[in-house]
Amino acid sequence: MLRHALVGLCLLLGCLVAIPAPAADFPTKEVQIIIPWAAGGATDLVFRALAAVTAKQLGKAVVVVNKPGGGGAIGYTEVMQARPDGHTLVTAVTPLTILPHQASTAFTYQNFEPIINVVEDPAMFQVRADSAWKSLAEFLDYAKKNPGMITVGNSGAGGGVHLIALAFEKAAGVKLNHIPFAGGGPSITALLGGHIHAVSCSPPEGIAHVKAGKLRIIALFSEKRMEAFPAVPVVREQGVNFTMGQWRGLAAPKGTPPDVIKKLHDAFKKGMEDPAFVKNAVDMSVHLSYMGPTEFGKVMAADHERYAKLVQEIKKQ
Amino acid sequence: MLESLQYLLTGFGVATTPENLFYCLMGAIVGTLVGILPGLGPIAGIALLIPATFNLNATSAIIMLAGIYYGAMYGGSTTSILINVPGETASVMTCIDGYQMARKGRAGPALAICAIGSFVAGTIAIFGLVFLAPPLADAALAFGPPEFFSLMVFGFVVLSNVTGGSLLKALMMAIVGLIIGTIGIDPVSGDPRFTFASTALLGGIEFVAVAIGLFGIAEVLKNVEQPIEQLEQAVLVPRLRELFPSLRDLKDSLWPILRGTGLGFGIGLVPGPAPVIATYASYMVEKRLAAHPEEFGQGAIQGVAGPESANNAACQSAFIPLFVLGIPFAPPTAILLGAFLIHGVTPGPGLIGEHPELFWGVIASMYVGNFILLLLNLPFVPLFANILRVPKKVLLPLVILFCFTGMYTVNNAVFDIWTMLAFGALGWLMRHWAYEAAPLLLALVLGPKLEVAFRQSLMISHGDFGIFLSRPVSLAFLLATLLFLAMPLARKLFGVGRARADGGAAA
Amino acid sequence: MRSKDAVGGVVMLLFGVLTGALSLQLPLGTFRAPGSGLFPFALGALLALLAVLYLNSLRRRGSEAAQPAPAHWLPPLGRMPAFLAAIVAATALFVPLGFPVTAFVLMAALLRILGMKRWGAVLAISLGTALASYVLFDRWLQIPLPKGWIGL
Repeated sequence: MLRHALVGLCLLLGCLVAIPAPAADFPTKEVQIIIPWAAGGATDLVFRALAAVTAKQLGKAVVVVNKPGGGGAIGYTEVMQARPDGHTLVTAVTPLTILPHQASTAFTYQNFEPIINVVEDPAMFQVRADSAWKSLAEFLDYAKKNPGMITVGNSGAGGGVHLIALAFEKAAGVKLNHIPFAGGGPSITALLGGHIHAVSCSPPEGIAHVKAGKLRIIALFSEKRMEAFPAVPVVREQGVNFTMGQWRGLAAPKGTPPDVIKKLHDAFKKGMEDPAFVKNAVDMSVHLSYMGPTEFGKVMAADHERYAKLVQEIKKQ
Repeated sequence: MLESLQYLLTGFGVATTPENLFYCLMGAIVGTLVGILPGLGPIAGIALLIPATFNLNATSAIIMLAGIYYGAMYGGSTTSILINVPGETASVMTCIDGYQMARKGRAGPALAICAIGSFVAGTIAIFGLVFLAPPLADAALAFGPPEFFSLMVFGFVVLSNVTGGSLLKALMMAIVGLIIGTIGIDPVSGDPRFTFASTALLGGIEFVAVAIGLFGIAEVLKNVEQPIEQLEQAVLVPRLRELFPSLRDLKDSLWPILRGTGLGFGIGLVPGPAPVIATYASYMVEKRLAAHPEEFGQGAIQGVAGPESANNAACQSAFIPLFVLGIPFAPPTAILLGAFLIHGVTPGPGLIGEHPELFWGVIASMYVGNFILLLLNLPFVPLFANILRVPKKVLLPLVILFCFTGMYTVNNAVFDIWTMLAFGALGWLMRHWAYEAAPLLLALVLGPKLEVAFRQSLMISHGDFGIFLSRPVSLAFLLATLLFLAMPLARKLFGVGRARADGGAAA
Repeated sequence: MRSKDAVGGVVMLLFGVLTGALSLQLPLGTFRAPGSGLFPFALGALLALLAVLYLNSLRRRGSEAAQPAPAHWLPPLGRMPAFLAAIVAATALFVPLGFPVTAFVLMAALLRILGMKRWGAVLAISLGTALASYVLFDRWLQIPLPKGWIGL
């Protein structure tokens, strides 16, 4: 009796396994966006909002799943190994091009197909409103006269804003003292409490305090001025030829068919244009910056090289 | 002050609209559920419900999501008491005496005191939030890396042997916890440590997995050792009379609840996993102050009342840095910050001025929410206590399934389930070898922060150790630590203080 | 010395030594500028030291007074190994089988191991809990859980 039941069960399972999903009718089930960080971060918020509006475009649910750990390594490794049928995507963020140089990860950006870039966050240095340095010139002047004395906090050793700060150091010809914190929040807290002189960060970190007048943006590393703060000049305008920011987009595992990528790209592009999403982005002080797959791919490649050099330099220190 | 009260009244007007009452109730229910389910915590609960709030206005959304956070603190103690599985990381301490109470048939009073204590603590803490928020937030900012280090050292020394027993063994467990905490990426240098080229280990060892493993799974495994006849029975069948707390219980719990509230509120302001630390501190304090400290660990109700109140108070005071500074000090408040941002509200210095109806509405809804939670949890006490009637051979597999699923939901990682099982087996061995789990968990929580704070401080001071002594707050904590260590010595030399039955050796 | 106390102490000692040895592979830095290996190395060394102190105290205790026969280092196992093995198997098969199937199989296996004889009861309880948890987690709370072959 038991044996019959077992045989029957096996047959049933076998039948269910044998039914494949037809590839032409994408998407056939919900699309998952894996975020390799814990919930609540900047990437998380943007893509949860985007997922909500893009579901309409694709006709299926778009679900966000957090797989944190290893600075992003866990999530990226998992998506790299996922089936390339377009149902599993990952948020491709600048650390994707940094991580492979820091630890021996199983992936590099080349294990993914870029789909679309959504956000480009300018990086910046902030100081307290009552800081003695009123302008970038004064800041750099002090730094040149007192190498290694200005403490600049960041959201984590080897993270995006840390490396950007290092790159800025080189471009401006100064030496700073970088203090790592466990995330953007603690670094801003330390600045507010006066425990460090400046912080290297990216919106929305610190923006509320700048708006309230408690903090000031002393160096802005984007190409153009921010709409929210038109009076703040970018460092380019002030004589330091340097721009660097972080991008946040979407990618799929390598081998995903091009027509699936195109469908995803078009859907997310429409999602980005949805007025509800645009309003969300403005409210969060997040800078939307669309890039198509080829352009995004080029940016990833360029950054991969750039960070390779930067990480080498830190390792030597 | 008077102004604040006026605003608070307007807030009540906002909080008690039928719409917002509904969302508050939803948040409370989801929070309780999420707190009961082991592993699944307020972080996941809030993150999952954020999309559901997209169409709501900001106030309603935050009312609901905040409800999930403090609601989880109510539910977390339920499984701690009934099956020795901490539903929430902050419920670990409740397992120690709560489960022993359940084994003696006193699950009902334990559960009830948790609900009552949580309510009292939450309500008092909200007053603190309303009237003391700005100055407290400024005080929180005064904590820089050196202050954190000294505070962590103090906490570590004071709380390591919180459950008593051999000091040497507790220290060894604490060090094991510290070592486990170093696995993963070193936050200061970015180097991987002890990861053996495994991507999964790069993420470090998940605290929740260790907690559930050492307490819950180990307890199940220990039970499974028993012969089959014992497995037919239930843990204990509680009698109806024993389902409610006696007057004696309420009297015994009063001061622990009040002290727990104070401790929790203060500790909740410190960044990091404050509720966990608050519960350890409360347990320690209650044990020291109790008339019969030897009862602790065997089912002393003070050991349940104090920590439960502490974790609720800490949870409420965690909102202070979020609202006033716009900076989340703990992972659940980080998600709440995200929720704020998605709705276009930026918490921080401008919040009270720009969105008064949101701020006061949410505060008022916290009172309402705590009240709703009390009403939700108390009637269920007999129901929950009766779960213990289920025969072990059915209950134990259910517990395993519960933990198994709940663990996965934390990080969507099967690796965490493996971690939980490994620590379950380890915990089972530890029971047999008489090693305590509590010091290991505390060290796992404090260790990484302690190390980071130490190295950050040295980086800021360019290697000068004086930084720890030249800053008053840091110096104060270090002196307090020395005093604490010197106390047993002083007692031996001068015969001061109670004679300790356990003969705890001065290390 | 086969007593559980001694074995426990030796395990601690070995763990401490192992930690210390492994952390030597990391940059130690100096005391004023600690590298990533300094803290773990100090911890490993400290643990080893404490373990030695502990083992020493055991030896002293043992020679001071006549001790009753010390407990064996493992307790009587009962069904524990089978129980644990079932859970391990379920964990390994979790992702390929998917949540509902794993829940069902796990419950059934554990109930049987703990001595539930009647298949009817076993299957009923297992099916019931698997379904109930599926509804609770997947449908109601909308938590992403592995789908497995059946695609549920």
